[in-house]
Amino acid sequence: MIKLVNVNKRYRTSAGVNTVLDNVNVTFPVGKSVGILGLNGAGKSTLIRIIGDAEPPDSGYVDRTGRVSWPLGYTGGFQGNLTARENARFVARIYGESTKYIEAFTQEFSELGDYFDVPLRSYSAGMRSRFAFSVSLACNFDYYLVDEALETGDARYKEKFRLAFEERRATASVILVSHNEQTIRRNCDMAAILHDGQLTLYDELKDALQFYSFLQTRAA
Amino acid sequence: MQDTKVTDAPPIGFADITDALSTQGRVIWALILRETKTRYGEHKIGFLWAIIEPLIMVAVFVGIFASIRSDSPGGMPLVLFMLVGIVPFHLFRDTMGQMQGGIAQNRSLFAFPQVTTFDVIIARGLLEIFILGGVFMMLLVGMDLAGFEVRVERPLGVLAACGLLSLMGIGTGFVFASISPILPSIRQLSSAVLGRPLFLGSGIFFIAESVPAPVREYMLYNPLMHILELLRSAFFYEFESAYGDWGYATTWAVCTFAFGLLVHQAMRRKAIIGL
Repeated sequence: MIKLVNVNKRYRTSAGVNTVLDNVNVTFPVGKSVGILGLNGAGKSTLIRIIGDAEPPDSGYVDRTGRVSWPLGYTGGFQGNLTARENARFVARIYGESTKYIEAFTQEFSELGDYFDVPLRSYSAGMRSRFAFSVSLACNFDYYLVDEALETGDARYKEKFRLAFEERRATASVILVSHNEQTIRRNCDMAAILHDGQLTLYDELKDALQFYSFLQTRAA
Repeated sequence: MQDTKVTDAPPIGFADITDALSTQGRVIWALILRETKTRYGEHKIGFLWAIIEPLIMVAVFVGIFASIRSDSPGGMPLVLFMLVGIVPFHLFRDTMGQMQGGIAQNRSLFAFPQVTTFDVIIARGLLEIFILGGVFMMLLVGMDLAGFEVRVERPLGVLAACGLLSLMGIGTGFVFASISPILPSIRQLSSAVLGRPLFLGSGIFFIAESVPAPVREYMLYNPLMHILELLRSAFFYEFESAYGDWGYATTWAVCTFAFGLLVHQAMRRKAIIGL
């Protein structure tokens, strides 16, 4: 279970103080794929970084039971001058997993072929996200935090990931942030909307999507 | 429902602490291996260079020294005198230099919650210290095999002095690593103000005895000067310094280390965000 308790976060910018999270209290249920929708600049990436403990909130706390992945996204923690194999080993070491297993799983699942031993900096965005997803799948997390990244890669590969997540539904949950309602519609059971510092979780996906399209038209 | 009181996280138990420590150990080790790869992975000549560079420096300074003076400083053999000054000084200067880019050059790593700014900075410092320790040993053994007759008078004293130099390097390294993401120009300052003048003024090329008394009085405020005097006293049978003070040197090293950790603690949140 992941539970946000009285979480506050604001940024000081040259344009003034930007409140990203204003006393947010939300519980993410186990075994569900939850989408978080928000307009550009609503603070979706900040939210997922706070959920994943990559960034501390100003006040309040996040209660996590189970293993939570790092926020999976385009760049997510990998160094360009190291190969996929070396990056996979690094992830295995910091999560205390067997380097052999993580390496083997990632190599097979990512289908990167010879590129597995080439520095990441020569990868395309699609290859990078393929690698990032494969390593995280290898780690067997209880929660997968996904930051937009499902949008890259070819259709066949996206389907492969979707199936892999589907298989783990019983034990693993996904929290996915996106500004794209199609992404949420395809991948999630329920959705929350981040707007004006408030995070509202809807039980019904369609209610969330309806409110989101209202927000979009108002913004436009 | 919308009460805005600040909420504290649940209390931390003993098991949480041991858990956190073992995670931190794992992370630092993983980072050290990763740094080794990024430093030496692509160019195999990298580690060779770590040995050749100090050798060249020793050769150059032996050449300069020998052309000015005919006697050797404090009765110590000139080549070993230079070696047992230049390489240990690197423990201070290069440890500091490697550590200061720790946060700025590893920002993507903070996506992993278990990787802290402390870990990335200290991993770089430890790797540098391991490498220099290895280089120092190899050069001494090599010198001995080459016929320079390397005999160490008090190995523990040498180790202690090297430890103090490392501690000074780690302390200043933490200071610069924590400030440089917010104020990048501090890095020029660290090499221009600390690196070079200290390289020339810490007694790598001379001993305190050989400096005129009024100047010496001021030079002995420099803790590195003390450490190098102590280091050579412990290393050479021929030399015993009247000026090196363990208490003074240790106090400086411990305070520098503590100051570095304090600055890091105060700056780390800002340092992650950067400019």
